[in-house]
Amino acid sequence: MAENELTKGLTYNYLGADAAPTREERIQATTAFGGSCCGLKTGMGQGCLKFNSRKFAQGNGCQLTLALGIVRTFQNVVVIIHGPLGCASNNIGLAGFNKTARALKGKPVQDVVWMHTNLDERDVIDGGQQKLRDAVLYAEKEYRPDVIVVGNSCVPGIIGDDIDPLLDELDAQLSARVVPVHCEGFRSKFVASGYDAAYHGLLKKLADPPARYRRAVPNDVGAALLDAGEEYVRNRTVNLLNVGSTSYGDEVELSRLLTALGLKVNVLPLFGHIDEIARMGEAALNISICATHDDYLVGHLKERFGTEYIIDTLPIGIKNTNKWLRAIGKAMRLEKETENLIQLETSQLTEALEPLKAALKNKTVFVGGGETRIFTTAEFYQSLGMRVLGLKPHNFDHFAVPMIEEINDQDAVIDVAPGQPAEEMVILKKLKPDLYVGHGGANGWATKLGLTTTPLYGQSFNYMGYSGAFELARKAARAFQNTNLAKKIAANVALPFRKEWYESNPFDNIKEAQL
Amino acid sequence: MSGFIERAKTTCALGGALVTISSLPRAIPVVHASGGCAQTLSAAYNLGGAYKGADYCSGTMTPTSNIIEKNIVFGGEDRLEEQIEHTIKVMDGDLYFVVTGCQVEIIGDDAQSVAGRFKGGKYPVLCASTPGFAGNGFKGYDLVLSTLAADFISPKAKKDKKTVNILGIMPGQDVFCRGNISNIVQLLGKLGIKANSFFGDGETIAKIREYGGAGLNIVFSEKHGLQAAQTFEEKHGMPYITTDLPIGDTGTENFLRKIADPLEIKDVDLETVINEERKYYYSYFQRFLEIYGDIDLQRYAIVSADINYAYPLVSFLSEDLGWIPHLVVINEELDDFSRKKYEKKYKNITSLAKPKLVFEQNTGQLLKHIKESWPQNRNDKYYNALSPAFLIGSSLEAGTAQKVGAGFLPVVFPVTNRAVLNKGYTGYRGALTLAEDIFSALVANR
Repeated sequence: MAENELTKGLTYNYLGADAAPTREERIQATTAFGGSCCGLKTGMGQGCLKFNSRKFAQGNGCQLTLALGIVRTFQNVVVIIHGPLGCASNNIGLAGFNKTARALKGKPVQDVVWMHTNLDERDVIDGGQQKLRDAVLYAEKEYRPDVIVVGNSCVPGIIGDDIDPLLDELDAQLSARVVPVHCEGFRSKFVASGYDAAYHGLLKKLADPPARYRRAVPNDVGAALLDAGEEYVRNRTVNLLNVGSTSYGDEVELSRLLTALGLKVNVLPLFGHIDEIARMGEAALNISICATHDDYLVGHLKERFGTEYIIDTLPIGIKNTNKWLRAIGKAMRLEKETENLIQLETSQLTEALEPLKAALKNKTVFVGGGETRIFTTAEFYQSLGMRVLGLKPHNFDHFAVPMIEEINDQDAVIDVAPGQPAEEMVILKKLKPDLYVGHGGANGWATKLGLTTTPLYGQSFNYMGYSGAFELARKAARAFQNTNLAKKIAANVALPFRKEWYESNPFDNIKEAQL
Repeated sequence: MSGFIERAKTTCALGGALVTISSLPRAIPVVHASGGCAQTLSAAYNLGGAYKGADYCSGTMTPTSNIIEKNIVFGGEDRLEEQIEHTIKVMDGDLYFVVTGCQVEIIGDDAQSVAGRFKGGKYPVLCASTPGFAGNGFKGYDLVLSTLAADFISPKAKKDKKTVNILGIMPGQDVFCRGNISNIVQLLGKLGIKANSFFGDGETIAKIREYGGAGLNIVFSEKHGLQAAQTFEEKHGMPYITTDLPIGDTGTENFLRKIADPLEIKDVDLETVINEERKYYYSYFQRFLEIYGDIDLQRYAIVSADINYAYPLVSFLSEDLGWIPHLVVINEELDDFSRKKYEKKYKNITSLAKPKLVFEQNTGQLLKHIKESWPQNRNDKYYNALSPAFLIGSSLEAGTAQKVGAGFLPVVFPVTNRAVLNKGYTGYRGALTLAEDIFSALVANR
């Protein structure tokens, strides 16, 4: 198979270390840039943006939250946070939602169970090993989980609590697999490091070598036929790698498309069982929908077990869904079938979109959130006749560089900013887009600015594939039909900024790296 | 020494401090910590507090120094100074409040002295040391209010005996905080008492600065807000009393009688208000009698709650609603002395059945405690079951309620399957709202 353009030059053999390298160490990326599409492209080319920072900053997120966001979805898992009570306490707000997501995906409905080792002042001095041991044993005794994942937080990270020997010892003794995940928040300003942290633990402890055996004895025609049948299925079995923001609707749609190509689809690893996760290396192809999310996982599986993978674009909108399918079709040598499928789907969808286009034509849009999602979403709205005024990726790395080209207006504003609504709101106030498409936590502020919003992702909606494209168009058209809420809110509720801030250039807030 | 906790129904000191500051009128928190603390902790309260949301300045809006590995090695004080300076330029607030996370406390950053560099500026800049390892969310609440009492609220030689400060009702952690405060303020208003509440309607930072003129602090908790009350006592010579959240006829009457003496309320005024409120209360409370009686809505009551809510809820269910108080699981720890004092309250339960009290911080253990509280069915033909039962707890107990076949209403943090705006359960009027919610849960499938 040809070398993947996006992962060219990257290596993935890090299991000798307790922790995955951070994104700072591993790839070219930035969290702070303000300018235009073409400016960002030039900047990324020069590789000097990595060390940019801010004078005024707002919370930029924590890799621990993202790492544990992956593992808490596993079936029959207990997640232990080795730290004080606050780390990953967003579980409190999301436990019920996660339980519902399990039900939606047809998985056994279980409470999300997490624990804190509850480190206190004394543990900061003495270390928290005993509490960690007690917590793991409690989890084993009370829940009989298949896997206990321990997320290491800042406090043990700074005081040097060495959790790995202890967890290795417990892993050998207990019926549950015990998996350490090193995701100390202070180690990386790129929250995407958390994906690597979680997958590092998974790859180290849970991934098994592909089981390949032949049952046929010489001249046993029946057994040989069975083997051939199994081989046939295996060669057509693919893993569709989901992420925290793929809805069940997305999984159904993408599975439908892959099934239409004659492939057998496993949706993994989120909400999966560890027995399924253990066998990820066996698939004929690992299919990613997001390079930012998956390269560490699939790159490693390829290096270690030779499992082929696709990392290309995110299948949102017609163009990118087609591109994604073509990459898969090529890898599976199903080019003709893929073209047939694309032709059928595209023509049906184009016809269905026609009546919605009138409501969207010449409307302007601004999209903020994860890099691959916002560029593909913006490209789709653009294809419906909307104008992309700006984008705000949480971070920007070399995986997304080719996506810049997809934006027609290369002078469109780009603010690379994890969160940072203060910068974003000033930009939005100036640009006044007709539609704001935002990440969780951002839409409320945009509403206070008076903007019509629609969420960038969501559990109850379909965003990906052809049906997702139709839904995206439908959602935007619906939002324009009544914009009263934002108007009323903007007239009556204030954002917490000074007048002078609104008048300033928000990009003056970004400090260029001093090398 | 504290141990691990399974599904703690609280966050850490920094989390408690953050939700407290961001609930103060036009106050801007400045978090000196790694990048994720503010968002994770805000998400716990903004979602878990029945979608109370980010208010004026929390959630992703929270100014944060975003400490990284480099700062852990070389110190983060310069970064904090830069962050405070620019926060004042960008964010429009009446008070800036620096709070610290674990990372910077371990490496020994002196945030207090960095904040001190802004003293005498146009805007007040306060600072409290609130690392997560210092305690749970309630601790952060106490640290913030203590700092306000010690470093911000102006001392007043003259106290107004008819003015009180309300403590112990924590934003976010009490899902009904603002509604609860509002009901209490109105109730006290009927007795000619002005109540300062920090977080309630119409409060401002300027008003909070004058809280030193109050004659008394009322702490609606046996544990939380005490540190703040003690700071008020030390710095402002202000006495305090503790009382339970008043919920329902019994609870509210007890509360009013308890404060009448220290607030020098005339007997005649007290009786008038109690009688008026009670009359109003029963004129509505009696409306469900028909359905209560016809389909038998008496229940075995199980309550799983924090210190603040456990007793007031079980008291309301037992004394007003006539339910069987069966089991109370308190999700917090108390030292031995406080525990004995706390347990005494339950002697006031007048029903023949007395509730069993359990202190348990691990959420998943509730099911076990329910099972242990009642003889199991060993395949008996005739089995006197713990049924019909009703569980009041948090959203985390939904599964347990289902497993034991109990009706269920989440009231205690976290609440994620209800949305709360201005609703409160305190006083006579709040208890009507609570009764509405309980009976709505019971008839939801009709």
